[in-house]
Amino acid sequence: MTDSARLRAERLAAQPLVKLASGPGNFFRGTLAGIQEMWERRELQGILVRREMKNRYKDSTLGFLWTLIKPVAMLLIYVFVIGELLSASRAVPSFPIFVFAGLTLWGLYSDMLTSSTMSILQNAALIKKVYLPRQVFPFASVGSAVLNFLVQFCVLIVAILLLQQVPITWDLLYIFPAVLVVVIFGAGLALMLSSLNVFFRDVQYLVDVAVVMLFWASPIVYSFRALSESQYGGTWVEQLYLLNPITVAIIAFQRALWLGGPAVQQEFAEKGIDPAMTYPADLDLRLGILVVVGLVFLWFADRLFHRLQGNFAQEI
Amino acid sequence: MAKTPETAFDAPTVIRITNLTKRFVIRKEKNLKDRLVNFGRSNKHKDDFYALRDVSLEIPAGQTIGLVGHNGSGKSTLLKTVGGIIRPTKGLVERRGQIAALLELGAGFHPDLTGRENIYMNGSILGLSRKQVTEKFDDIVEFSGIGEFIETQVKFYSSGMYVRLAFAIAVNIDPDILLVDEVLAVGDEEFQQKCMNRIKQFQRDGCSIVLVSHSAEQIREMCDRVVVLKNGAIIYDGETEGGLAALSSSFEE
Repeated sequence: MTDSARLRAERLAAQPLVKLASGPGNFFRGTLAGIQEMWERRELQGILVRREMKNRYKDSTLGFLWTLIKPVAMLLIYVFVIGELLSASRAVPSFPIFVFAGLTLWGLYSDMLTSSTMSILQNAALIKKVYLPRQVFPFASVGSAVLNFLVQFCVLIVAILLLQQVPITWDLLYIFPAVLVVVIFGAGLALMLSSLNVFFRDVQYLVDVAVVMLFWASPIVYSFRALSESQYGGTWVEQLYLLNPITVAIIAFQRALWLGGPAVQQEFAEKGIDPAMTYPADLDLRLGILVVVGLVFLWFADRLFHRLQGNFAQEI
Repeated sequence: MAKTPETAFDAPTVIRITNLTKRFVIRKEKNLKDRLVNFGRSNKHKDDFYALRDVSLEIPAGQTIGLVGHNGSGKSTLLKTVGGIIRPTKGLVERRGQIAALLELGAGFHPDLTGRENIYMNGSILGLSRKQVTEKFDDIVEFSGIGEFIETQVKFYSSGMYVRLAFAIAVNIDPDILLVDEVLAVGDEEFQQKCMNRIKQFQRDGCSIVLVSHSAEQIREMCDRVVVLKNGAIIYDGETEGGLAALSSSFEE
């Protein structure tokens, strides 16, 4: 036996034997171990997020600019068609800012869902050949969606500054719970959808349809006031509408960035609209509940992912 | 159990497999509609297949063990459960030390990243920190013989360059356990010779190797011990020549 072999044997003898997961396992256990594993592999997570960003607009001349061109194009369409042709802008002061705020946060959510759903399947080659905590793949999609969001958010801030509708009020703090709610639910759904998509390939198409429908189920191109003043205001439809976490997050986001500026307030006064009518009364409570419910949901999604991932390598 | 004089010295166990069983459920439907339509009576629409039946095995440090058997005898499944890629249905796999798998070279490569970026990514996938990869970076590049192309996107690499780089990464991270699945025939003859030398270096350094191969020549040259699998069960576990004989007699049945 050579010296290096002896050294290795001594080093190995000092390490404990590690048991690998076996069988279906307990659904509820292993949360802390999972968090610890993710923490140990944070460097890998960073590398994968960067890869995802790079991959998104690879070899295109404009590259990263495309992350901005798409929402701006959508913004122009909505402002022109819905704002001008359908006259929605008459009821919503500073319509472009309103739409852009909603679109930015919605973009984060839809981006997280669509890109993460495919994340496990797209990394099939790796998953079948090497062991690594598989959560890194949906989380890489979430991470790159968040980075994209931050860039768009900066553009939103610049637009608000240019239009001189700076909302310097305490309501600005709503940005944090709003984004937090979207990220928590987005991450939970990312784990859930990416793992389910391995077993039911229909999930990816279902997500495409759901994203289109859910877009209209949040006040992005119309205001919440339009709903509450319609025949559905105060009915169970409105309550159901407000159960959607993303809807509440978007309303809070708009409250932070859109309502506060003096120019917007002035427009409200001119049009005789009561600004208090533009968001539900118990917004704070709703956000608080959503954060808690979201964390429970995220935990459940993580456990589901953990349970399903044992069969990834053979099902892909 | 055949042990070479070297490993007979109180070598610690690096892999312990106890009553390992892997059952695959083969479903005949794949989409949501079929699943929903057949919900409840889905037993008719799936078959059980036992890839491994009650396999127990203990591998001490420094041993090179050859897994042989027919196609579909469970060799690769066993290797993948040891690697943690497939979760077993029953039984236990315990192991210690840094593990590296040469299951399919270059699986972790991303075509749009350069060779350098891929080395860091692959190292990270195998569990190394950025600092550790940086320390080994020059050795990896030198071993691969890629040279200046290290800054080129790997999609422009020839297939030979691709596997050489992948092999260079896997062997240079200095694993305690190396899992090899029929991939040693890579690159030109010179590079193959280099790989074999490297693997022999590993053996001298007390690294354990689990090798799946169909080449009796390779098994004879490298292994201290052979395990023969048939229909997911171990039918022979012992010294090399006996194992190869057991393998050829299992072919004749």
